[in-house]
Order: sequence, then structure tokens, then C-alpha cells
Amino acid sequence: MRLSASLATLALWFTTLGPAGALEGAREIFPAPGPEAGRLVIHAATDLDAMRPLIEDFQQMAPGVTIEFVEYVTNDLFRQAQEACTGAVESGDILLSSSVDQLVRLANDGCAQPHRSTETLTVPSWANWRNEIFGFTFEPVVFVYDRRSVPPEDVPRSHEALADLLRRKPDAYRGRIGTYDIEASGVGYLLAFHDSRQAPTTYGRLIESLSRSDTVTRCCNSEVLGETAAGNVRIAYNVLGSYAYAAARANPALAIVVPQDYALVLSRGAMIPNNAPRPQIGKEFLNYLLSPRGRRVARERAFFFDEGEPLPEGVDGPESLMESGIGRPIRIGPALLAAQDAIQRSHFIADWKRLIPRR
Amino acid sequence: MSGKGSLFSRLMWRMSIVLAISAAGLITAAWFYARAAADEAYDRLLLGSAFQMTESLTVRDGELQFELPASAFELLGLAESDRIFYRVIAPGGKTLTGYTDLDTGADIDASRKQPRFADGSYKGEDIRTVTIARALSLPQGVGWANVIVAQTVESRRALASELTVRATVLVAVMSLLALGGAALAVRYSLAPVARLGEALSRREPQDLTPLDVSVPAELSPFVSSINHFITRLSERMQLMQRYIADSAHQIRTPLTALNAQVSLIDEDQLPPEGRRHLERVRRRAAELARFTNQLLNHAMVIHRFDSVHLTPVALNDVARKAFRAAIPITVDPDLVVSFEASEEALYVTGDELSLREAIVNIIDNALRHGASARLDVKVWRDGDFGVVEVSDDGAGIPEAEWSNVLKRFHSSQSDGAASGLGFAIAAEVAGALKGGLRFRTKSETAPFAIQIALPLSSAPIEKGDAS
Repeated sequence: MRLSASLATLALWFTTLGPAGALEGAREIFPAPGPEAGRLVIHAATDLDAMRPLIEDFQQMAPGVTIEFVEYVTNDLFRQAQEACTGAVESGDILLSSSVDQLVRLANDGCAQPHRSTETLTVPSWANWRNEIFGFTFEPVVFVYDRRSVPPEDVPRSHEALADLLRRKPDAYRGRIGTYDIEASGVGYLLAFHDSRQAPTTYGRLIESLSRSDTVTRCCNSEVLGETAAGNVRIAYNVLGSYAYAAARANPALAIVVPQDYALVLSRGAMIPNNAPRPQIGKEFLNYLLSPRGRRVARERAFFFDEGEPLPEGVDGPESLMESGIGRPIRIGPALLAAQDAIQRSHFIADWKRLIPRR
Repeated sequence: MSGKGSLFSRLMWRMSIVLAISAAGLITAAWFYARAAADEAYDRLLLGSAFQMTESLTVRDGELQFELPASAFELLGLAESDRIFYRVIAPGGKTLTGYTDLDTGADIDASRKQPRFADGSYKGEDIRTVTIARALSLPQGVGWANVIVAQTVESRRALASELTVRATVLVAVMSLLALGGAALAVRYSLAPVARLGEALSRREPQDLTPLDVSVPAELSPFVSSINHFITRLSERMQLMQRYIADSAHQIRTPLTALNAQVSLIDEDQLPPEGRRHLERVRRRAAELARFTNQLLNHAMVIHRFDSVHLTPVALNDVARKAFRAAIPITVDPDLVVSFEASEEALYVTGDELSLREAIVNIIDNALRHGASARLDVKVWRDGDFGVVEVSDDGAGIPEAEWSNVLKRFHSSQSDGAASGLGFAIAAEVAGALKGGLRFRTKSETAPFAIQIALPLSSAPIEKGDAS
């Protein structure tokens, strides 16, 4: 079962995501379209597939820049950046990570350099800390389900409903619920941590239900989605909207629900490291990500969701995420340091693992 | 008005220095105050979050438990741009969580009585720390746990400098207002000095009455000194004039006797040589008598202007009286004299006696030195001036001599038969009445003339039947 799932995942990677994004820690070079005048090294805990349109569009604007894209899982990126901060290893010119608490920790430890430009002024205050970390995406955290195996009456439209469903039909969904392994995935931990803060009671019931239904955990979004696409998982809990939408476009069997009680909204963070060898190009790329042009490309081809825009077509959710108060942005700021506290983290993960062992 | 600058600028200069020093003092005080205020404000956040953290230290099942409260960081996050460091130390000195190398440098046990704030630096940044202690009952006994919370000082500095800038702006505005107010006040206070100067410079040269200006107490010694000086000068002048008048008077009596004695000399018995000498003696004696009279008149005129109140005077009347007084009965019968009054009644403000004396002197001078066949006196109006004109058919006075003849004891004639004081008296009277003495050169159509021009005044108010 596990082997087949992994094979299916691999198959999915190769078919839908292309060869370059296949392995984490992988490196891809985007040669400058014009004569090479500069080089930009991006260290990212972000899917290359999502970033590819943005990188290519940026190279249209700056044809002299060769871009080296190095992909990590969030925790590896964090460790690598911590080492780079002390100068032990070479730093990237810009860091992109969905695990913004790790970026906040890095900035708090003095590993970031500030950047101010007309573009950074447009960033909402919840997505900017000290002009060092900027949230450049808007990604609701969603549920994904498999239309083939989840009847319409079972579709959970809130966290409470998901907990209820698992309680009502434990057998139907045993081993069929997927989510992050929060120990392996920084963003998974961040989302679970915020769930526990956002609605402690609901979270307690949900985690209990997840525990009873032998929830499947995977390292990352793509693997969880892969399991869902393969039909092994019926409902995926806490998936980033952008990945979910990309997967749903590739596989019509997948459907997306934005919970109606509350939906965490994550903004992927970008940061210029203090030891960036070429910070100027990094800042140009950051400006591009925050610019209207970059946001438009992101909305159309990379991350699909945008703060000012309605939900993309086919997504089941509230009409206006932010105005209704359902969207709860994860504020990029010092409060995230609490999530990064070592003792906090180990206790939280230990509690989680006691209930949801990896399987 | 010497090299010392004006009183105003001296005062303003000193005032500016005082204001600048006090402004600098105030701004420094504001800076200290702003720093203290910013520290106090942010120290509370620091302390609040440290308290929250200590509250989260609990003993459960004999084990020390700690759950970092996110709200503590949210509280510190109110200082938006500041980085946060913390360290939780279990009893016994083992770091439970946080930044293990965060250290205040001070004895950590000192925080047991009360939270201790300190300034320091961490990771190359200036920080403010608070250390707080909490007693915990553990199975092995009571122990002290400590929490150190640190914050970079960017927000404090931003707040302090913002407060300082605002205070600076306020102080600057206040100083400018004070300076402006001071300038007005100084100007206002110095106004009496300017008034005094003006009153002094406006005075007529012969006015020796005491100053009558109201001045502040500080200036009154100055004014009374001036007045004292004026009084002394005035007394001295009067003394001199009286001396001259007395001298002239004293001279007149022996002179009359001398004239009488001369007239008693029988000319027939004298040889022609002696007769010529006698004639010279007679002429010199007459001249001396006239000169003495003029001295007396001059003294009289000056005295009158010092003491007499000026009234409207009918110019025609005065001129006519002067004309009659000046033309002696023994005038040369070949000389044609005429007087022509103006058609309208002209009035000038003056003293009748002095004015008559002035006109008499001019006519007398014309008779003596100018007229050979004709002398005309005419009163007419010239705009705002009433003019008494004395013209004769003599050679006149050359233009170069005009200013000289007005001086005392100057004669236009070289033969020594000088009038000495005639024109001087006339000019002095005309000047005292705000008028002047004018000359008209001889031309083909008009004879040489001397005019006294005086500003016209309104007619006197009729007082019953007295005219």
C-alpha cells in the first residue's frame, strides 16, 4: 500500500510537475535569455512548478539575469539559512519559504537585511515585518476531497463538520484522511499550531477524530495531494490553496473546500539574507514579486488566490474571504517566535505524534 | 550713534543669547525626558511579557513545564520594528528554552526582589533587558526560575527622537515668539528715547526753555541734566545780553553829552583844519549813537522773543508805522519816498514792536546807503506769505555779499560807515517769525529791493470794540 502510493506519487510528479521539480533539494538553472549580466540564487521552500512562471516572466523584464533555483523542504531551508547566517555556507540571494515562522526567527536573529521600495509599501502590514520579511502570496488553507469517493452530503465545510464526519462515519474514512507530517514539514507545524490557537476546542476534537481515523501523514503538500489524486486519501486536511488548485486543475476528481468557520491564510515569505552575495538582484526579484505585474502572473499561473480577488473558479467557499472575517491571516511578526520556541515545538509535536503516528 | 551700536540691537543680541541658551537647555531636558518616557513605555511591554512568561512556568507531576505564550510576543510585537530575545532559566541555572547565550551580565539572583532592567547588547544590537524571577516548588525543594526578556531599542529610539523633535519644534516656535515679543517690547520701551531725541532736535536754536517731555523714570535724570544745562546756558545768555544792553545804555549818556559838547564848539573860530576834524568827530559820534541804539534794539528784540507772546499783527499797520518812524523829518527834499499798503488786510503772527524795528532798520539802511532819488515801501501778498518790500534806486548789494550782510557787524560799505546790526536784527526777527529776508537784484525794469516775507496767519478774533 505504501509502496504503491509512493509510486503513484512519483508518477504524478513526473507527469504533472515535470522533471525539474521532482526532487527536493534539487537545483535548476534558468539561463539568461540575453547576454548574462548577473546571477540570482533563489533558495526556496516553494514548489518550482509554481515559481517557474514568475521566474520566466522576471527574466523577460531582466533578460541578463541567470537564475539558479534551489529547492528545499522548509526545515532544511531553515537549517541551511542558519548556517549561512554565520557565514559557514554560501547564502542565497533571496529566500522564499512558506514556513514564515522560520523566516521570522531568522530575521529576529539578525540574518535578514531590510529592503524598502515603492513595491514594499503596498504590502499589507500583516505581511511585513521590519521591512525584512514580506509575504508575497495569499494562500487560504483548504480541504481537498476526492469527488469519486466522498458523497456530496459528506463534504465538510468547516473544521467542526470534518470532526463530526469522522465521528459519524469512522469506518468509511479510516486511513483515508491525509495531512502533513508536522515534524517533517515546517509549514505543517505552523498550520497545526495556528489551528490550535485559532479554535482550541474544535482543534482538540478534530485532532482526536483524526487520531481515531488513522490519519495518513506525508511530508509535504504535493505528497498529500498525490495520495488524494491516486484515490488513497479521500479528504486532505490543511492543504495550501495554491497547491490544491494546481492539483485540481490537473485532476478534475479533486475538489477544494475553503472552510466556512475560519480559514487560515498563509502568505509565503520572502527575505533577503544578510549575507546575500548579490542582494541587489535579490531585491529586484522581490520587487518584481510584489509588483502588480508579478502579482498578476502569480494569480493567473502560480498561486491562483489573491487578497483583492474573488476565489478562483470551482472553489467551494465564502464569497469574500477577508471581509467576512473567515480568512485569518497568519500575521508575520514576533508572535511567530512563540511557534519557533524549541520547547514549545517539541511539546506540540510530541503531543501530535502521540495521537497521530506516522503511517 | 557712536560705534557701540544701537540700544535696540544690544538688547536684542543679549536677549537672543539668553533665549538660545535656555532653548538649548530645554531641548536637552526634553531629550532626557523623551528617553525616559520611551523607556518607561516600552519597559512596561517588556515587563508585561516577562510576567506572562513566568506565569507559564508550571510544575506538573513534579516536572517543570513551560509553554511559551504567544500573547507575550504579541505584546512585545507592539513595538513593531523590534527584535525579541528571551531565555527561560530553570532552577539550578539550566536554560530551559530560548536564546541560551542571552545574558545581562549582572547577577541573575538580584532579580528575586524585583524585576531588573538593564541595557546591553546582543548579536551586535543594543538591547534592553528585563530579568524576572519566580519561586517554584519542586520535589527537590523550592527553587528560583528566571526569565530574561530582551528587546532591541529601535522603537524606543524612534519614539524618543520623535518626542524630542516635537519638543524642539515647540521650543523653537516659543523662542521665536518670545524673541518677536521682546523685539516689540524693546522697541516700545525705547520709544521715549527717540521721542526725547526728536524733541531736542526739533527745538529752535534760540529756544532755551526747559524741555517738557514726559519720559520714563530711567530717563528723567538725563532730561533734568539737559534742563539744568539749558537753564544755566539761558541764564548766562541773559546775563550777557543784559551786560550788552547796560553797556549800551551806559555809553549813551556820555555820548549825548559828547554830542552836546561838540555842538557847543564854535566852528567859526576854528581854522579850516580844526573844522574838518570837528566834522569827523561829529560824524563818528553820531555813528556811535546809532550803533548804541541798535545794540539796545537788538537786545530788546531778543528779550521780547524770549518773553512776549506772539499775536496776529496787521502787516499794513506795522509797515506804515515803521515807514513813518524811519523817514526823518529832515529827509533830503530831493528824495521821493512812497508807501503802498496792500489792498487786503494781511496778518502775520508776530510781535509788533520787533517787527516794526526790523522794517525800520531796513528802511534806515536803504536811506543811508542806497536811495539817491527814490525809496518805495510796499506791502503785498505772495502766496501764503505777506511781504514788506523796500526798494530804492541805489546801486544795491552785490549778490556775493547777501549772506555776509546778514551777519552782525558786517558792512557792505568799505568806507567804514557800517550799520553793523541793521540787517542782522531784521533777519533775526524774520527768522523768529518763521519767515525770511530776501533780496531782489536790480534789473532794467525793477530796482534793487529787500523783502521781509512772513507766513500769513488768520485775522485776530475781534475782542469787543478793542481792535
